[in-house]
Amino acid sequence: MTEVNLSKVVKFYGKHRAVHGIDLAIHDGEFVVLVGPSGCGKSTTLRMIAGLEDISDGEVSIGGRVVNDLPPRERNISMVFQNYALYPHMTVRENLGFSLKVAKKEETEIEKAVDEAAGILGLDELMERKPAELSGGQRQRVAMGRAIVRHPDVFLFDEPLSNLDAKLRTQMRVEIKKLHQKVGNTIIYVTHDQVEAMTLADRIVLMQDGYIVQVGTPLELFNAPVNTFVASFIGSPPMNLIDGTVSGTDTIKLAGGLDVPVPAAARGQVTDGQKVQFGFRADNLMPEGHAVQEEGEKANLELTVTLTEPLGTETVLFTDIAGTEVQAKMLNPRPVRPGEVLKFRLMLDKCHVFDANTTEAIRG
Amino acid sequence: MLRRRFPEWFVLLLPAIIVIAAVVLIPLIFSLYSSFTPYKLTRPSTLWTWVGTYNYEKILTDAKFWAAFGRTVLFLTIVLNLELVLGLGIALLMNKVTWGQRTLRTILMFPMMFSPILVGFQFKFIFNDNIGLVNNALQSMGFNVALPWLVDGKLAMFSIIFAEVWMSTSVFAILILAGLFAMPRDPLEAAKVDGCTPWQSFRHITLPFLMPFIFIAMTIRSLDVARAYDIVQIMTGGGPARRTELLWTLMSRTGYVDARMGLANAMGYVSILLSIVFTIYFFHKLSAARAQIGMGG
Amino acid sequence: MDRNQTHRNRKRALKTLHFIALFATMSVICIPGLWIVLNSFRPTVEIMAKPPIWTPTFTLDHYRAMFSGAGEGGVPVFSYFRNSLIVSVVSTAIAILIGMSGGYAFARYRFKGKAGYFVGLMLFRAVPGVALSLPLFIVFAKVGIIDTHFGLILVYVALNVPFTIWLTDGFFRQIPKELHEAAEIDGCTRWQAFWKVEFPVARSGVASAAIFAFLTSWNEFALASQLTRSVGSKTMPVGLLDFTAEFTINWGGMCALAVLMIVPALILTFIVQKHLIAGLTFGGVKG
Repeated sequence: MTEVNLSKVVKFYGKHRAVHGIDLAIHDGEFVVLVGPSGCGKSTTLRMIAGLEDISDGEVSIGGRVVNDLPPRERNISMVFQNYALYPHMTVRENLGFSLKVAKKEETEIEKAVDEAAGILGLDELMERKPAELSGGQRQRVAMGRAIVRHPDVFLFDEPLSNLDAKLRTQMRVEIKKLHQKVGNTIIYVTHDQVEAMTLADRIVLMQDGYIVQVGTPLELFNAPVNTFVASFIGSPPMNLIDGTVSGTDTIKLAGGLDVPVPAAARGQVTDGQKVQFGFRADNLMPEGHAVQEEGEKANLELTVTLTEPLGTETVLFTDIAGTEVQAKMLNPRPVRPGEVLKFRLMLDKCHVFDANTTEAIRG
Repeated sequence: MLRRRFPEWFVLLLPAIIVIAAVVLIPLIFSLYSSFTPYKLTRPSTLWTWVGTYNYEKILTDAKFWAAFGRTVLFLTIVLNLELVLGLGIALLMNKVTWGQRTLRTILMFPMMFSPILVGFQFKFIFNDNIGLVNNALQSMGFNVALPWLVDGKLAMFSIIFAEVWMSTSVFAILILAGLFAMPRDPLEAAKVDGCTPWQSFRHITLPFLMPFIFIAMTIRSLDVARAYDIVQIMTGGGPARRTELLWTLMSRTGYVDARMGLANAMGYVSILLSIVFTIYFFHKLSAARAQIGMGG
Repeated sequence: MDRNQTHRNRKRALKTLHFIALFATMSVICIPGLWIVLNSFRPTVEIMAKPPIWTPTFTLDHYRAMFSGAGEGGVPVFSYFRNSLIVSVVSTAIAILIGMSGGYAFARYRFKGKAGYFVGLMLFRAVPGVALSLPLFIVFAKVGIIDTHFGLILVYVALNVPFTIWLTDGFFRQIPKELHEAAEIDGCTRWQAFWKVEFPVARSGVASAAIFAFLTSWNEFALASQLTRSVGSKTMPVGLLDFTAEFTINWGGMCALAVLMIVPALILTFIVQKHLIAGLTFGGVKG
């Protein structure tokens, strides 16, 4: 069983605190993605788990064993790096077999393990090439092969897809997910791309400025963000946020004079005069006749379209509510010209309210 | 006119070629010729007597020459290897330093600025058996000895090697350190995660990557191995009793003291050949290492 | 926890060991040089004292003697310094011009046998000074430029050109080709493009090549000792020999001259040390 446990883990760089005492329990076989903007401490956390960075304070344990001061080689982990980190002077075969070679495994055993990994990742044709002769995607596969060859307890991925072009990235994402289904090991995966986090993770750990902001399944983070940061980080396009003030108990006056009712989830949680941010996703603001038919409270708005981004199955419409630019989605799109005025439906059940001071979600 | 007849690159290279031809090539051709004559400075007419390969036969059958030749090769082998190992060690030490690295690196370059002749005098002074720093320190620590550093054959060789290594290890240390700085961190970390001990990481990852840098240092050093002449000339002059005689000191004595230029030039050719062999060998190694690490092109 | 403890202890032990090794290394590097500097300020009696005196007395006698023209032993330090300076500066300037032109050719043009030319030029640098001094001595004597600044300058130019080519080639190669192409599209001739765009970019690199050449000339002994004879052309490395008599050496005076030799070299090297390393490695690695 290989759970990974972080308890009050802190990282200092000199005086600068990069990671602020985080707690995290990762279960055996779980695919956990650490996500956040650059500089949020996600890579540092991963590297502390790997043993590439000293742990300033707190405790990291892998499979129930405290590993704080153990060098990487005694942690039985493997890692895929952002720049692949292939050994340039070795062939693909040597790269794959290297960890077993330094562990002084039998020649035949190494060959078997290498061939097996090559089979899983489809590297058989490339075995005698050097990294310099491989394409980006091939290098990425070799890096992954190198990680699986030694059957580690835990896989660590440090932004493994960020150097690939968009198409290849999608393809490799699928391969990583398949790999996880095949080998079933615990995976800790770091990325700054929320799409990768959403598509890959069993659980997402969203970090900001060295703190964990929210931990949960992709849908939990998408549907119930704990604060405006999560709301605008997860999901594409980001959640629309409009400043407003609560008036009475069930109305929010938006900055430009528009009134919306307080969404059901937040009713009874707000006080008169409270400054809030009113949030909703583009998927929940749709033009009449181009929306998904759904039950629930709706508000009708007439808005002027300022810009359109046709994506084929849908078009993202840019418009303006109360002086704030917001995005809406049009399903089964028809051509829309900038300046056109459309009737929109806002799904009030799917709206969120955040406290303007603390940025935290107000939810029952 | 010139431009029309020669390509641009040749015009650009021409001044270099002319100067080198005038100052190096022509004298070398002259010395090649004179190495086939019994030319003596004191009797200029001897320049016109052709003796064929007499000088070469003479040095090839001369035990003193072979002793100096063997000693030179041995000296170079010991010195270059020692410098490489020490330089590598120093570079690794420096790479781990977390504070004041710039200052330390500047100090490290110290010996590179010293004139070889100055290094010779400096160590002649320090190893002086009567007033030298080493013996004085030994005596002050209670050893009642006056080690004949430059008078005893073996100790003299040691002293010379020490001086040479002191002067030139920096070249290796600095270049290898530059290599360590240029080294991507990822493969090293991957190796750590792959289960390498520090020694295994060094052996399988760091060292192969440093090879081109090591060979650059070797090539640069092999270009001026003959600088050792200055040191030896000052510290022992090839003595005592030829125990530290190298090819270069033997050649210079034959030419300038005994005035036997023809013979000295023949030796000169052997020493040139030796230098060229070393240089080409390391150039060759350099491009091989470069290709291996995937830096070629 | 046991394994953790072991690793912690090992880490601490290694740290101590690292510090000791580093300290020892730095001592070995620094002490000989400092010893020379120290002794240039000690009276001769004290240097020669037996048993040794470890608490040094401070005196400027050796410097006073050295700068008073012909002091102790009558070593004309000023002339030597001037000769060294003239020969080194002039030969460096010429070597840089010629070497830069050659380095540019290697960095920017493709031609047949390029690698061969390159190694060939380097090999001329590998000719030992002593071996070259024998025929040069005779040739220069015949031409009548022995014991002149001109002769020595000529030799040092030839000596420094190959290495300057190596260094400048490396620096020019680091500059993207597009730079001069852009300049030429903007209306420069190739010549203007070089001086107005590429040269300023490579300037620091060229400066470090110049310092390398300067140091070689400044410190060279084997050739200078044979090609110069008189006060009018002897350089400082050769001048050091003036402090040696048949059986005695004026250590204090020699140390003072040594300091005079080292200081300019020291200053120059510190100024460009960073570029120096970059030039050597880029020229070599990205060959």
